[in-house]
Amino acid sequence: MQGALTSRGLWVCALAAAALALPLLISSGFVIDIFIRILLFALIGVAWNLMGGYAKQLSLGHAAYFGLGAYTSTILLIRFGVSPWIGMLAGGAVAMLASLPIGALCFRLRGPYFAIATIAIAQGLMLLFLKFRDFAWGAEGTTIPNLGQAPLMMQFESKAPYYYILLALLAVGLAITWRIERSWMGYYLVAVGEDEDAAEAVGVDSLLIKRNIYLLSAFLTALAGTFYVQYIYFIDPNTAFSFNVSVEAALVSIVGGIGALWGPVIGAVLLEATSALLQSWLGGGHGGVQLSVYSLILITVILWRPSGLIGVLTDAYGRVVRATAAYAQKAPLDG
Amino acid sequence: MLTTIVQAVVNGLLIGGIYALVSIGVTLIFGVVKIVNFAQGEFVMIGMYISYFLAARFGVDPLISLFVSMPLLFVIGVLLQHFLIRRVLALGDMPQIFLTFALSLLLVNMALLLFTADYRTVQTPYSETAIHLGGLYVPIAKLIAFAVAMMLSGLLGVFLRITDLGKAMRAAAQSRDVAMLMGINPDRVFGIAVGVALALAGAAGSLLMPFYPVYPLVGQVFVLMAFVAVVLGTLGNVTGALLASLMMGVAESLGIQFVGADSGLIVVFAMLLLTLAIRPKGLFGGWSR
Repeated sequence: MQGALTSRGLWVCALAAAALALPLLISSGFVIDIFIRILLFALIGVAWNLMGGYAKQLSLGHAAYFGLGAYTSTILLIRFGVSPWIGMLAGGAVAMLASLPIGALCFRLRGPYFAIATIAIAQGLMLLFLKFRDFAWGAEGTTIPNLGQAPLMMQFESKAPYYYILLALLAVGLAITWRIERSWMGYYLVAVGEDEDAAEAVGVDSLLIKRNIYLLSAFLTALAGTFYVQYIYFIDPNTAFSFNVSVEAALVSIVGGIGALWGPVIGAVLLEATSALLQSWLGGGHGGVQLSVYSLILITVILWRPSGLIGVLTDAYGRVVRATAAYAQKAPLDG
Repeated sequence: MLTTIVQAVVNGLLIGGIYALVSIGVTLIFGVVKIVNFAQGEFVMIGMYISYFLAARFGVDPLISLFVSMPLLFVIGVLLQHFLIRRVLALGDMPQIFLTFALSLLLVNMALLLFTADYRTVQTPYSETAIHLGGLYVPIAKLIAFAVAMMLSGLLGVFLRITDLGKAMRAAAQSRDVAMLMGINPDRVFGIAVGVALALAGAAGSLLMPFYPVYPLVGQVFVLMAFVAVVLGTLGNVTGALLASLMMGVAESLGIQFVGADSGLIVVFAMLLLTLAIRPKGLFGGWSR
């Protein structure tokens, strides 16, 4: 067991080193952009996975928090000149505040009712922001003034700093998930996810547990929202509250492995790499190809391996390790 | 003022008939098979494209193409149940929700790929005509759509009450296990339930075509309404879904008239959230008897 743990630690260190070195090795802005997309959706997926994976609250409305994060920092930046670094935390706080009434409304609902209610809330928020013409620019949206190289305003001329910001946020998200997985809260969450009534019967306050994890999930999603507007220099309700954000958050987690620490990361790598490949093969102008392929992957995973691809990978890894071990044991005899 | 209100109510009722066809489908599948079909709106879209192409290529009136879209979608529904839904019935919430959700994504994007995002319309002799009733304005195409929708809903109600198959469906909805013990073949009943639900969606599509444009995302307009209606009307309750759909249509229409042209959906969402807060199980209780 000890051996397994250290080998796992080594893998994580190697992965982290590779991730840190990546922008030094790659100069193409296009490729860095693909990695930024991978990290962005891994981060949103990690946030979704806390709710959807561990507590099995299948939200299809995480765009609500992505949008609130994006709008909070942008309004603070443009109306009050506040740095997006502070705006990012403020966005997280707004998202956490919003998650309280939303949770209070939705947590009594189970399964499909919960999913439908979260869709409606995210769509409703989008409609509201479309109506706020004076304060939040309505349907036209607004661009973020470009200041060139301005690290204090979260603006950079090259893509590498953006990559590192996301990498740091993802590391935070993974660390939080890792801590929770190993705490009493993790066990409570899984208990609520498995069978809410049974968990209640043994004294788990399921509403409290769900509320707490929703706060964290909303916070992390909002950070991604702020990052995204800063990265693309533009915001409007259709981008910020895009239904696609809600979809991809759930998709990367499910395809990678629902309720598994690395699941969303694996899912994000697979889906975003697929979409980048499709784009380079087909070029632009083939609207619909990417999501068609995504949905085929999703259907395949659901029918073939509902626990996600992480199981396939760990099985394969286990087989390789066992085969190597068997070979290593036999080798001295043969030699 | 009174005329404006009555006019808004009439407009709402007319479109509410279409919402009813979609939401009765959703609620029928949920009641019998215990799955929420997130792709129901996409089958409305398919019904619309069937009618569109029959009209554009062969000049078939959309109301005639009802007799093509309904059987075709019935068959698609039986196949859908057999090849996809059946496999996730024993699994948990996640596969059940995300299978039909993935299907919805797939159908929208395939349509985008095949037909592009263009809006397409069909002109019929009755597309522009209307009846004037003492200051009220009633478009013929919408009136026909409403009448046929109500007729189909009524037929379904009769089917569920009198025929053995309909009774078997209601039995399976009340308790799947007991129904199976009584010798009801669940695969057959489920297949027909999904088939009927999709046929209703196809009918909605054909009925919409004379006065509504078709484009790949058109289903989402109707499926959102349908979700609100089935939650309001209690998931699994056919009469509830019908009444709630008509209510949603009227609420949306009044919202557009009195709050603002872009506020119809806001009124609808507000109603959904209010219902969920006050009566999470909907307004109408369990399966209608």
